[in-house]
Parts: sequence; structure tokens; C-alpha cells
Amino acid sequence: MERAILLVDMNAFFISCETTRRPELAGRPAAVAGDPKHRSGIILAPNYEARKYGVKTTMVLHQARKLCPDIVLVPPDHGFYERKSREVMQVLSQFTPVVEQNSIDEAWLDATGCEALFGSTLELAQRIMKEIQSKLGLPCSIGIAENKFLAKVAADMKKPMGITMLGREELDEKLWPLPVGRMYGVGKQTALKLNRIGVFTIGQLAASKPELLSDKLGKWGNELHRLANGIDPSPVLPHAIDEMKSIGRSTTLSHDLTDLMLAKKVILALTDEVGSSARKYKKRGRTIQITIKYSDFKTITRQKKIAATFLTKDIYAAGAELLKENWNPKQPIRLLGIAITNFESDEQDQISFFDFSTESGQKKEEKLEAAVDQIREKHGLSMIKPAILLSQEKNPY
Amino acid sequence: MKFTCMQNNFLEVILTVQKAVSARSSTPILEGILIETEKDVLKLVGTNLELGIQSYMEANIIQEGSVVLPSRLLSEVIRKLPDAEIEVTVSDNNAVKIACLNSNVTLQGFPADEYPSLPEISENQPIEISKMLLSNMIRETVFAVAVDEARPILTGALLEVEEKNVTMVCLDGYRLALRRGMLEVPHEDLRVIIPGKSLVEVGKILDDDDQTISITVSDRHVLFDLGLTRIISRVLEGEYINYKQIIPEDYKTRVKVDTKILSSSIDRASLIAREGKNNLIKLSLQDQKMVITSNSETGQVYEEVPLLLEGKDLEIAFNARYFMDMLKVIEDQEMCLDFTTGISPCVVRPIKGSNFTYLLLPVRIFA
Repeated sequence: MERAILLVDMNAFFISCETTRRPELAGRPAAVAGDPKHRSGIILAPNYEARKYGVKTTMVLHQARKLCPDIVLVPPDHGFYERKSREVMQVLSQFTPVVEQNSIDEAWLDATGCEALFGSTLELAQRIMKEIQSKLGLPCSIGIAENKFLAKVAADMKKPMGITMLGREELDEKLWPLPVGRMYGVGKQTALKLNRIGVFTIGQLAASKPELLSDKLGKWGNELHRLANGIDPSPVLPHAIDEMKSIGRSTTLSHDLTDLMLAKKVILALTDEVGSSARKYKKRGRTIQITIKYSDFKTITRQKKIAATFLTKDIYAAGAELLKENWNPKQPIRLLGIAITNFESDEQDQISFFDFSTESGQKKEEKLEAAVDQIREKHGLSMIKPAILLSQEKNPY
Repeated sequence: MKFTCMQNNFLEVILTVQKAVSARSSTPILEGILIETEKDVLKLVGTNLELGIQSYMEANIIQEGSVVLPSRLLSEVIRKLPDAEIEVTVSDNNAVKIACLNSNVTLQGFPADEYPSLPEISENQPIEISKMLLSNMIRETVFAVAVDEARPILTGALLEVEEKNVTMVCLDGYRLALRRGMLEVPHEDLRVIIPGKSLVEVGKILDDDDQTISITVSDRHVLFDLGLTRIISRVLEGEYINYKQIIPEDYKTRVKVDTKILSSSIDRASLIAREGKNNLIKLSLQDQKMVITSNSETGQVYEEVPLLLEGKDLEIAFNARYFMDMLKVIEDQEMCLDFTTGISPCVVRPIKGSNFTYLLLPVRIFA
């Protein structure tokens, strides 16, 4: 049976969220952006009024101001957007339990067989859009197709507040003329590789020999070939925290860093957030990964295996060591990130000698960090933090 | 420098010292092998600064000298030459001409004086040990060293000598492997922690004849002297875990089982287990048998192994790989497994004697 897959994509999600609590933004050009005093001030999410002036995501602030002098800039509040995102997912799950969240602002729904409940799939999409708008005050676009990939393509076609149905017979007209770089799943590097073998449009990709693609791109090449032909059998997988693969934070620094001590401080501040997230979800990870983007935008990631942990102290120790091992004072750093991955499974637990032995220090540390979490929960994030992060002016983030 | 030697001899020695050469190094010269004349023999050296291997070979030295050649390339070139006499000539700019029958290859080398020299080991009294014993001790324990760097000391093996008793211990937190042996000549007590990676290479170089080799330990290094070949490894500094403390003496369930029968059953169960997330096998001990089961998305497996059971019935689960790693190296026909509870270690010993002890920690199942 042909499936009915919907992709619900929240329009200009961050700034739309802001508009729900600051109605004065409605109808005016506005955007969520990093702190304008710092370089990390880039446009994160412009609303559609701002987009009319040519303001785009990741644009630097002064450029955005040049294009649109009246733009209202709002600092980001990720906690708020995450709450709103959960509310959106809540609404979606009232229509079907088969909801797969793809990112903070989009999700797939499998509505196959829901016709008896909601009428046609198009009617269902209209109801969803209306419900999210009336309950949460947020706009979205919806794509409808027989699989996840085409639903994603369809959702991108009409924004904001559009509902688009895309059938496989329309591919030659609607999908194939687009440049490959626009295709979901094709990043800059992949696009470059494809361009090198003479593939510039999605249509050319669909017409390429799969062997040639798998030769250049490995398994992913075959997958892309299938997708470009509108074939995507992957199921909509409802997932929860269990599916979480990693917890990480990164930040673009307000100025390039060449001082290891300062870089370590940044890592500590990021780890502080990663650790409390990991403890909240009770996820102990075995791999610590750091990301370094240099001033020339070259990016490296380095990782290290440690005993499974969710303690800020352990994550930081591994992160700081990775940083030190890969430190090069001649290469200024623009962005730093740290993540914890490779989580222990919950149902089965390989016992270790160290579980029995007298590592009471570990237990103590767990109690300490749990206490910090509780204080923050009750009195706010900034009420307690590592002393080294107290000096305000020197912090480069 | 100029010498001639036989292709197969040359290749063998190159492959020996190459075991210490990293395929990729930040310092290009460390990807090379030092070739040096020493009186009327040829000396080859490879090192990655943690492990160094030096080996002597017979050659017809025509002119003395030394050079460093890229290791992988050199071994490939020599491997592909016919089994005949090779003539090697080094010119002043370190270009090395290798001639063999109708073939002529020229490789660009590095000046030898930039090559790091291997550390000198002080003249302590060496431990005399048979090649076969050392080789067995390594093979039967080294698989249990830690691969992650969470506790760096556990990436090494503990070598312990008390008079005539010699013990090697490896543990990674989830299992422990211990092998005992006897020395012919007593030695003063010592403990040294040797990187597992170094021991693996030593194991590859040891052929198991009954000759004796000597091991000399200094504060920072250990030297394995095999005669023509000398292997020098850095040792790990720090305190090893007090392993005696974690081997339980008591048991509530004791099992005697045929090693081969158990091994082939678990091997079959592993086929299914390894498709799952945790490579899990469940063991159920009762009625003088062990029932082994495993479920994963790919299928199920059920195996029955007859055995002698003494004490309480028990249900317990393990990572199949940890079990197989151990079973692969046990040569005794029968062995003894001691259990206490479903969440405490399983202790594996020989029926007679005390050559080995293995400890396996189970997987806790939240059913």
C-alpha cells in the first residue's frame, strides 16, 4: 500500500517563538541573532518580513543591518525554543503516534490509514496547520508524499504556511531541475564531489550510473541515487530520548583564541551544560569528542574513549586533554565544541571491577554534581558555577 | 655504504624490525628503518619511540656506512625481488641503489645521524625465560589489556617475578587474565608494567622453540634479548591494580566442563549474539548442564552443554566475546568455573595445578 507521509516544518521557528511572547514583533522585520556586540552575532533565524530585505540565516549582523536598517534583533533563548518544540510535538502526536522528530523544528508523520479518522491526507494537513497555529500561535509548512524524502522536498516548496503534495510523476518538473546542493542529504563536500564528476542537478544525479556514484561516495552514493529517483523506503521511526545518540554544545567565540587557558575555560563552560544535560537524561557516555574550527574555517574533531560517565568533571578532564594534545598556538580558534556519545545501554549493564572496588571518590563526585543540578533547578542556572568561570570580562564567549 | 646479502634473509630482518615502525608518523624519519654496518655484520633498527627493535644479519660488507630507508616501501621492494643475491649501494646524497639480477631500484634515503638511538639499558641481572613459556604467557593474557585510555595503566600487562615464580596479568575492568610459570633460574622480586602493544609484537617475533631468552628491566625500559634480535619497550609508570584482591576465593556454584564442547557451543551462540547490541549470551546452570541462549534481531540460538555441577543453580549473562577470547587460549581439555551470584565474577581455573586464572564479569540484565 502506498504510504502517506507528512513532513511538518516550523517556519522561521526561533523568531516565530519569540513573536508569541512579544507580539510587537509581528509584521516587522525581526530576527533571532547572537549578541550584536560580539562576532558570534550572526543571524540565526530571520522572520519573513526580514527575508524580504534579503536577510538570511548565518548572515553577519552588520550586513543584515545594511540590508534592513530597521531590523529588530532578539538574543536567542534555546531553552524557550526547546519547550515550544516539545509543545509542537505534543500537538502532532495527537494526530498519529508515528511521529519522528528530525530536528528542533521539524518532524515526519506517518498518516497511512488515517483517512477514516481525518478525511484525506490533505485535509489532515490543513487540520494540523490550523491546530498548531491556533494552539501555539506558530506557523508551519507541510509536505505530503509517499515517502520521507519526497515529503521533505515538498515541505520546502511553499513557505510560509504552505501545504504541498508531491507525487513521483512530478519529479522531472519539480525536483530534477534543482542543483544537487539543494538536495536533503547532500552537504557542501558531497556537492563538490558530485560537481567534479559532472553532476550538477538532482536530475543528473538520478540519471547517473549507481556504480559510478558508489565508487565516488561509497554506500551513500547508492542511497543518494535512490533518493534522487524519489525512492525512499525508510520508515517513520517514532523516537524518544532512547534514540539520543549524543549530547553536545559548541560556541563561536567572540574573538579568535590563541590561549590554551582561555580555550580550556570555554570547554569547561560548555561541558557544564553537556554534563547537566547528560545527568538529566541519565545518559552515561563512553566517548568524548571535541570540535575545533580554526580561523580559516578548517574544522577538526578529535575523540577519546573513557569509562562511561555523565560527570562534568570527567567529561571536562577528557575534553581538556584532547584540547591540549591537539593544541597549536599558531592556529587561532574560532569555534569550540564538546560532546559526549556512545551511550551505555539502559537495559543491560556490563559490570566492571571498578563497580565493586572502593572508588568512593566517584560516588562523592556524583552526589556533588547532583546537588549542583538541584540548586540550579530551584534557583537558576547562574546561581552556582565553577569559580574559574566567575571572572566576567575575560570570558571570550 | 655497500653490501650484498640474500633477498630472503634481508626481507625477514626488515619485517622483524618493521614491527616497531608506525605506518604514519609526524616525523617522516620515524617511518624509516636504520640500516647500519657494524664490523662485518649488518644492523637494522625500527622504532616508534615507545617500542624499538634491532636485529643483526649476516651480509657481505664491502664498504661501511649507514642510511635510513622508508620502511613500508623498502619491504615491498625487497619482497617483490627474486630470491637471489641483492647488492645495496648508498651514494653520498643518501640515494640507495638496490640491484638484484636484472632489477635496479633506487630509493631516496635519509641521513642516518638524524635517526633516534635506542635507549641503553643498565646492566641489571636479566630474567632467563624459555621462549615457549614467554610466548604462551603473552598469548594467553594480552587479549585482556584495556584498549581505551580511561586508565592508561591497564593498557599494559603486569609482569611479576618472585624467585622462580613468574606471573603475567592483564585486566581491562571487565575481565582479568592471569598466567603463571616457573623460571629455571630464580631472580630477585620485581614488578614491571609493559605496554600490551609492545608485548603483542614481542609475541610475533618469538618462535616457540625451547631456547632461553633474557629480559632485562630498568626503571623506564624493558629489554627482550633474543640473541640476534633485541626488543626494547618503554614501561608504564604507576601502580597496577591490586589484582589479588579482586579474585574471589569462595563460590556457590562450581562447574567442571569440557573446554572444546563449551567452546564450540558458545562459538555458535556468538553468531547470533554479535548481531545484537551488547553481544549477549545467557547461561542457565541446572540439572548437570548449561543451557546457553541468545536472542537478537537476526534470530535465536539454544545450546545445551553437559557438565558436572556442584552447588546452587544459577542464571547469568555475559558478553560472548569475553568468553570466546578466553576459551580460544585455554589448551586444557577440561576446566573449572566458579560462580557466586548472577552479578559477581566467574572464576575460571584449570582442574589441576594453577597455570591460569581468568575472571569474567557478567552483564546485569534488567528483566
